[in-house]
Amino acid sequence: MPIQDADERGAQAPATSTSFQLRGKLFTAVTLLPEGGVPDAGFYAALDEQLQKTPQFFNNAPVILDLQAAPALARSEDLRRVVDLLRERNLSAFGVQNARPAQLAAAQEAGLIAITTGNDTPLRVPRTEKKGAAKPPPPKPGRIISTPVRSGQTIIADEGDLVVIAPVSSGAELIAAGNIHVYGRLRGRAMAGAYGDARARIFCAKLEAELLAVAGLYRTSDSLEDELLGQGVQAFLDGNKLCVEALG
Amino acid sequence: MTSQLKKEKSVSKVIVITSGKGGVGKTTSSAAIGAGLAKRGHKTVVIDFDVGLRNLDMIMGCERRVVYDFINVIQGEAKLKQALIRDKRVDTLYVLPTSQTRDKDALTQEGVEAVLNELREEFDYIICDSPAGIERGAQLAMYFADEAVVVTNPEVSSVRDSDRVLGLLNSKTKRAAEEGAEPIKAQVLLTRYDRARIEKGEMMTVDDVLEILAVPLLGIVPESPAVLKASNVGVPVVLDEPSAASQAYEDAVARLIGEEVEMRVDGERKPGLLRRLFGRSA
Repeated sequence: MPIQDADERGAQAPATSTSFQLRGKLFTAVTLLPEGGVPDAGFYAALDEQLQKTPQFFNNAPVILDLQAAPALARSEDLRRVVDLLRERNLSAFGVQNARPAQLAAAQEAGLIAITTGNDTPLRVPRTEKKGAAKPPPPKPGRIISTPVRSGQTIIADEGDLVVIAPVSSGAELIAAGNIHVYGRLRGRAMAGAYGDARARIFCAKLEAELLAVAGLYRTSDSLEDELLGQGVQAFLDGNKLCVEALG
Repeated sequence: MTSQLKKEKSVSKVIVITSGKGGVGKTTSSAAIGAGLAKRGHKTVVIDFDVGLRNLDMIMGCERRVVYDFINVIQGEAKLKQALIRDKRVDTLYVLPTSQTRDKDALTQEGVEAVLNELREEFDYIICDSPAGIERGAQLAMYFADEAVVVTNPEVSSVRDSDRVLGLLNSKTKRAAEEGAEPIKAQVLLTRYDRARIEKGEMMTVDDVLEILAVPLLGIVPESPAVLKASNVGVPVVLDEPSAASQAYEDAVARLIGEEVEMRVDGERKPGLLRRLFGRSA
């Protein structure tokens, strides 16, 4: 018999018929616990104050009224009024919990459903002071290298400056998002402003570099003036020109 | 056996002799340093990592005694004791030859580690003669090293390759990979040093080389017919008759084990009068 039933059902459900799917959905609702009697102006003032601290957080939040601490809130018109006033504040009350039998009847009359499942958790309100004060981000840390950079090695400072307190051999590469400082002999390649920062500069104590580049504009050792070799120099962009100048 | 007398055996050291560039004198230096250490009574083994280009046993003069080799041991085809060849001149000196028929792929990191660990039980110094290049063979030769001797000639390409190798020693070795381990102690050994050519500006000066490599100098070995001769007859330079080169290697060995020896060039501190009058000889 059951098998036959299944067969019949299969036969009677053509693919084109109007159908639907049922899916479970989990979501977080905010529970509001009025205390004492029917919520008054003081209640709404306190609520407004709370909402103003985190305006985005409660926007259109589904709300359950917990009637545990408000036995006097038992008339359907009072509940309706609460729902309306909450809606004005972009809070969508849809149910009640911990309601006494009389309150339950009034709530159903006011279009609120009885919620009996679910656990309460403390509401994690984002810290308001973080949002309020938009402090500038701390300076990017950069990298400090104190051992010789050898031929074939590449040192990358993804953020900020790259500082090398050692020689950089020919065939080595330095790449930094910001400035590059070399306090030893620079014989390798140095590329500052690797992500396009045209304000980045290269500073080095003794220039013998194979290549200097700032924001993609480069000069090779061939095109560097001879009198700069071995000198302390800086390289920077002036418009579309990579300038290399002696320091001091 | 001398080694048995030294009961309070110090922790054994694995020293890689490497360079990047070929033909600079790695194998000659491995043989000379190994023999120099052994002469001083340290139980020493020299391992040939240049699989497929077996040279060390020739330079050490034991190529006709090779039966089993390093690769046989790694692959479990022979015991370490069967492959080790004891030198006939210095009884604390051993050679672990490599295979002429296999290639570098026959080396495995686990195999190398197992062999080195077994050798550490027996020997004071384990000298790894690295192949040229920076590929698998060279990287495995340096991977487990405690110290490194970077052999360099005073010319630009050799120095640049040595610089590259120093970078690898600081990044691609066990000591570099392990958190908190002391980095490999690397020193440069300048070989084929030819003062006449340096004075003519054809080669780099010692200061130039050290300025680029920025590591301590282990020694300066002059270009010398004695080195070539010793290689061809299969006698490590330090076991052959005294020469400027053998003296330089002896000094280097002394520095390697922590003695302070003044750096000399051409076996002398200054060119002597006779040398100036009669030109140069080895």
